[in-house]
Amino acid sequence: MREDYTRVVLADDDEDDRSFFMEAFEELKIQTKVGVYKDGVDLMNALNQLDSILPDILFLDLNMPKKSGLECLKEIKSNDRFKDIAIAIYSTSASEEDIEDTFVNGANIYIKKPNNFNILKKILSDVVTMNWQYHTNGLNKDNFLLRL
Amino acid sequence: MKIFIKFDFTNLSSRFIDDKLKELGIKYRMLNFGEIEFLEDVPEAKLQAFYRILEDYGIEKIENQKVILVQKMKDTIIDMVLNAKEPINVKSSVYLSEKLGHSYGYLSNLFSEVTYTSVENFIILQRIEYAKSLMINTELSLTEIAFKLQYSSVAHLSTQFKNNTGITPTTFQRIITKRRELNTNKS
Amino acid sequence: MNFKSIYNSERFLKIIFGLSLFIVLVMGGLAYQYIKKLSKTFEEVQLTYQINIELEKLASLLKDAESSKRAYIISKDSTYLEPFLLSDEALSNSLTRLKSLTANSHEHQKDVNELEVKIDQSIDIFEKTLQLAITNKIESPEFIAGFNEGRRTMNSLRFKIIQMTTHENNMLGIRQEKSSQSLSNAPMIVYYVLIISLVVLLLIYIQISKNLKSLKQKNELLETFKESTTQSEIISKLGNWMWHVENSNFEFSDNLYRLLGEEPQSFEPDFDTFMSFVHTDDRNKLTEQVEKMIEHEDLPFIHYRIVQKSGSIKHFKSYGKVLFDSEGNRKLLGTTADITDEIENYRLIEERNLELERNNKELASFNYVASHDLQEPLRKIQTFISRLEDKEQEHLSNNGKLYIQRIKSSSARMRSLIDDLLQFSRTNKSEEAFEDSNINILLETAKHDLAEIISDKRARISSDKLPSMKVIPFQIKQLFLNLMSNSLKYSRENIAPVITITYSQTKVSDLPKVKYSKYTLYHTITIIDNGIGFDQDYAEKIFILFNRLHNKNEYSGTGIGLSICKKIVENHNGYITAEGNVDQGSTFIFYLPIT
Repeated sequence: MREDYTRVVLADDDEDDRSFFMEAFEELKIQTKVGVYKDGVDLMNALNQLDSILPDILFLDLNMPKKSGLECLKEIKSNDRFKDIAIAIYSTSASEEDIEDTFVNGANIYIKKPNNFNILKKILSDVVTMNWQYHTNGLNKDNFLLRL
Repeated sequence: MKIFIKFDFTNLSSRFIDDKLKELGIKYRMLNFGEIEFLEDVPEAKLQAFYRILEDYGIEKIENQKVILVQKMKDTIIDMVLNAKEPINVKSSVYLSEKLGHSYGYLSNLFSEVTYTSVENFIILQRIEYAKSLMINTELSLTEIAFKLQYSSVAHLSTQFKNNTGITPTTFQRIITKRRELNTNKS
Repeated sequence: MNFKSIYNSERFLKIIFGLSLFIVLVMGGLAYQYIKKLSKTFEEVQLTYQINIELEKLASLLKDAESSKRAYIISKDSTYLEPFLLSDEALSNSLTRLKSLTANSHEHQKDVNELEVKIDQSIDIFEKTLQLAITNKIESPEFIAGFNEGRRTMNSLRFKIIQMTTHENNMLGIRQEKSSQSLSNAPMIVYYVLIISLVVLLLIYIQISKNLKSLKQKNELLETFKESTTQSEIISKLGNWMWHVENSNFEFSDNLYRLLGEEPQSFEPDFDTFMSFVHTDDRNKLTEQVEKMIEHEDLPFIHYRIVQKSGSIKHFKSYGKVLFDSEGNRKLLGTTADITDEIENYRLIEERNLELERNNKELASFNYVASHDLQEPLRKIQTFISRLEDKEQEHLSNNGKLYIQRIKSSSARMRSLIDDLLQFSRTNKSEEAFEDSNINILLETAKHDLAEIISDKRARISSDKLPSMKVIPFQIKQLFLNLMSNSLKYSRENIAPVITITYSQTKVSDLPKVKYSKYTLYHTITIIDNGIGFDQDYAEKIFILFNRLHNKNEYSGTGIGLSICKKIVENHNGYITAEGNVDQGSTFIFYLPIT
């Protein structure tokens, strides 16, 4: 039987953003386990370990050194083991190009990093809820597209 | 090579359960989706074996009465969305309480407690999801989909879609189409 | 075929000529017949005369013989017998002549034969009586009977001759009349023939001179045309050539020589000489294409390069078509154009386009990176402010709280500047982004984005039903958003904003300030508000980037919103105008072409 909390993971090279992310989940009253990685390479190394526990939702910054969010996304989508992970892009950019490109490449959620902490909390809560809805109601995850 | 399939969970699960119960030789009757009535006394050992099989496939036996009621609400709502004959929001509360024999206030509170979301949100989510599947799997136009789902106008559907997903129905269609093209090219 | 063309045609000329030839021949024949008839009448008259003469001669000979016999009988002088002795021969001669004269007439012959018998009879009687006379038996009854017999024969002879002469004279009268008739008709006929021939000749002359005149005019026209062709060849760098395929003879126009960098007609044109000008890389290709051209008798343009003697390379474009002359010989008629300038210009434009594209790309990416990278630190400043406000509010002094508010509003302003700049730099035109869109939905979406401020200000927005258009959807949504948010932003204090959106169509001729457009009809969408309006003098200025009519403390605009509107409308090949009335409201009208 599945645990009652949601596992979320963030890969972002910006330290401030990582701490905002963790603080936001701390303050939210949702049962979550949060993990953070400082770049795409670290994230992929962790995921690719065979015994790794996979997150329910993976947040990816787009603009990261060494391995960009889009590269991580493509890698994850090409591996069948990760097919159940919901991918959320977490970026400063909100260009239509980036949004469409990541969605087409398999992202489920696109989040433009907000400039207000309370809004961030609201967004993250919405993402977890929506993902939960998809999960518990047996909805088709291929149709899961959310832009915040 | 990749192909695309459309599957019906309800049918799939019913067939699966039917197979397993026949294997175990248990006589039963499927009442609604997710509600099974055994037609004779089932030995405890057989019952346990059946539960284990279900567990292996991620199917869970609902023990809690509240959860059962919520599941019934969900089924009713999904049925209502799929077979909409009249504008949904107006009558949904009346319909739910009539069908399930509880006041709408009680049902609504119970639903939020169990699912962390409101009945209204759930209805919207289901309608949007149905609209999505129609957009992808049928040739219906947005206008026809809005009509089928009992929306007052395309604009209304578009607005609700945008509110719920952050993107417009046309963007959604475009993305899914491109995604399929990409996947086809990959394989 | 109308009459005139028949009249002018060569065939008509031939018909006229043949007809006239026929008429002249007939007339000539008739004249000949008349003249022949005339000469025959004349001969006949002459014959009659000769016969008469011969008959008279005969009569006189007989008379002479008679009188000489009488004289001898009376005188018995033998000298008187001499004419009588001679007359025998003369008579037979005269008879022979008469016979030959009358050889053609059976009736005459009969008369002559009768005459001959009678003459012979009379001569016999003569000789008989003469013998009796010589023997002096004049008194004998034999003589007297012979004498009487001779007188009777003579009388009948004479009568016969007179009869014949009278007959001939009658004949002569008739013939003379006939002949004189023929004689008076002949000149008339000759005259008619002459007149008719003259008329026909005149007709032919008129026709020929007319044809000649038009031929001359056409020749002049041809000459002018040739001259103008020569001129246009020079102006447009064209050359013409003709290739008689069967005997491989070439004709080059003067300008073709010039295009090849040679003096006109400075060499005998042929295929090999021409090929020697063609760039070595293009020779095989050209030969192949020329062969194809002859085979298919018509071919699209062929392109190749030639090298002039001076070494400069020119780009040629040729087109040829096979024609057949009247003898069925094939000839290839072609035109060659020097398109070097075109190609050079095209290259130049292409280069400039590439450069422009590069510059544009650089600018866009600079713009994008600048605004994008500026966002990152700003976002963090704002987030930290929100953290500070939430968590540390109670630890701050009143001044500290005020400073926080100031930082907050400054960073908010910076954010909207960056957002708008980013929006502006992203508002680009790409053809594939155009799609048929329900404009009503775009307007609804824009309204939805403004829902909060609309309800805050209790604004009322009404709109006509808008038709579908082929647009870049998110840009049109942005356009509505910016225009409506402009109206809401610059509303009058304490007056609920009323925004009216109307639709109409405008002909290009009614568009203000549009000189040329390839479209004839424009969708016209008008957004009218009841806000603070603006001075009409600034109607142009408000669309310029960073141009604001108001102090930034009064209203929160960045001065980019309307520039974005202008850019969006221009991306759609449209126009936007603004009209303002201070304290009464503004009207924004945008026109999008109906495609």
